[in-house]
Amino acid sequence: MKNRLMTWGLAGLALAATAYTAHAEFKLKGDPKPAMIIFSQKNDGGWSQALDEARQKIETELGIKIPVVENVPENATAIKPAVELFIDRGANIILGSAFGYSDTFKELAEKYKDVVFLNPAGTTNGENLMSYYGRTYESQYLCGMAAGAASKSGKLGFVAANPFGLVNWTVNAYAMGARQMNPDATVTVVFTGAWNDPVKERAAAEALVEQGIDVIGQHVDTPTPQIVAKEKGIYGTGHHRDLSEFSSATQCSSVWVWDRFLVPEIQKIKAGDWQSQPYGAFLSIAQGGTDIACCGDAVSADDKAKIMAERKAVMEGKHVFAGPLKDREGKMRVAEGEVLGDGDLWGMDWFVDGVISQQ
Amino acid sequence: MDFLINWLANIPGFAVPFALGAMGLIICEKSGVLNLGAEGYLLIGAMAGAGSVLSFGGYPMLALGIAALASAALALVFAVLVIFLRVNQVISGLTIVFLAQGLTSLIAGKQGWTNKAFTGLADLDFGPLSDIPLIGPVLFRQDPMVYLTILAFFAVSYVMNRTHTGLRLRAVGENPEASDAAGINVMMMRLAAVLVGALFLGLAGGYLTVVVSKIWVDGMAGGRGWIAIALVIFARWRLWRALAGAVLFGCIEALIPRVAAIGIQVPQYFVLMLPYVVTLGVMVWTSLRKDTLANDPSALGRPFVREERR
Repeated sequence: MKNRLMTWGLAGLALAATAYTAHAEFKLKGDPKPAMIIFSQKNDGGWSQALDEARQKIETELGIKIPVVENVPENATAIKPAVELFIDRGANIILGSAFGYSDTFKELAEKYKDVVFLNPAGTTNGENLMSYYGRTYESQYLCGMAAGAASKSGKLGFVAANPFGLVNWTVNAYAMGARQMNPDATVTVVFTGAWNDPVKERAAAEALVEQGIDVIGQHVDTPTPQIVAKEKGIYGTGHHRDLSEFSSATQCSSVWVWDRFLVPEIQKIKAGDWQSQPYGAFLSIAQGGTDIACCGDAVSADDKAKIMAERKAVMEGKHVFAGPLKDREGKMRVAEGEVLGDGDLWGMDWFVDGVISQQ
Repeated sequence: MDFLINWLANIPGFAVPFALGAMGLIICEKSGVLNLGAEGYLLIGAMAGAGSVLSFGGYPMLALGIAALASAALALVFAVLVIFLRVNQVISGLTIVFLAQGLTSLIAGKQGWTNKAFTGLADLDFGPLSDIPLIGPVLFRQDPMVYLTILAFFAVSYVMNRTHTGLRLRAVGENPEASDAAGINVMMMRLAAVLVGALFLGLAGGYLTVVVSKIWVDGMAGGRGWIAIALVIFARWRLWRALAGAVLFGCIEALIPRVAAIGIQVPQYFVLMLPYVVTLGVMVWTSLRKDTLANDPSALGRPFVREERR
């Protein structure tokens, strides 16, 4: 356990180590038998597909078979039978896939004390239940650099779903990355109010193109903004998975690499030295979870080297939101010598200079 | 000025799915069959349209036709349930939505149609006409479906209000017993209305993928079917009012991203709420007017049993 804490510390993370109450380490009965339940179609091209791809990598790396069930909606009446069926068949590690599983997993974790529940984007934790999510501001910061490098006008656009913490940090990091390459770069954000609506995403992307942007970033679930970028002859950066699969315009993507996190977790569970964390795992590039797929042709070799050097710095502990950092109204948000805490990240409701948005 | 042109030029594309959807619903409901399955027909049309373009490597107009037919096939299930088996129309309508959600997800997943971009229907170019400043891009640089939708409104309006068939359709929705006594086959009339209505709903769905998004993803109708249902109520089953409502929604939907893209400071949730606030407002306004109830189909939602006493 000490070792683990030290690794967290070395990674420069503010993972509330002080609030870390040590409870008994979890002992798994028998060999690990994971099973995954996915809330949507598993080949959705984005979030769920990234989880399913991680599942396949874990299978190869650990030499185990991980059954999966898809299209399990985010309500208790659908989740419980799916999970209980897996447990009846001997599964002892349940891998979730959605925010909407949080409460049901909490209930199930209390009922099935011998089973570990791991849920990405969840909000509940317990002795045998842990949520996890990626520090996407790190990867989107690097994608912002790629966008800044690919842009000629310095005007970038961004299509996002809803303005709240984890979307806002993406937008801010993107703008800060772009400004690393071009100090005058701006990022105009259009919020569509939906995660999965290609009609609205296309409308947003086209409206941005009308305003003269020449690179388009995104934090929505479909590759539509990238496809519009290709049609209009501009560039883009993706989210969830490497979206150059869908569009040659894509220069960089913030991608999920859950296997890099889950493989060691499952090994720890097997070894008997796994422990849940009171606020879940919040994974940096260094810890697995998130990373970038970079870069396309519009990013020169020099710029790519800069991005990769920055990636290395971030992995070695450089915090994207390090002080002094002011928001666009001029209010000091992070003091000199400090970094933004996790609580402030999740609650982020401000934008940095260079972000043009409605809020 | 550019802002205005871009905004106006984008309105028809947003208005067409609502307009076609509302028209389909009006045809169906004027015959007395309540149709809450609009979202389902949009979904099946959207998926069938995208699937056809991907499978045949193009032919967007053919894809739109297939979208309409796929929706009508689903409507046949609904029609058998509510017209012949007299199942509750509210429940059946909702069932259609859930059925279509599962079905489209299953088929598109198995066929690998999800997230595949394709070239859809291109905008028409009328040469010099399309290059007239302001008027050109707004009126003469739209996709063919925009013009066809306007023609369809004239055609359907004529049939509904000026022909015998239209009179029969409306009679069946007003008073099926009297219509039956007058020699109209109520069941067949309703069946036809449900199927023709579904053709237009499917077309609206196909338009979403084939013309607008040029990509299929799960559940992408995104509540537009429910908006179409609201539009029909707000238009009190009048065709031209429904078209006006659809254009109003188109105006707002085309405006929202553009206001954001030029960076005007308006709270985002307020803007996203706007279409619904406007709907509520207009509904309140229409319900305060006196002449409104006259056009509602009185037998809406009531199954017809031949020679049953009421």
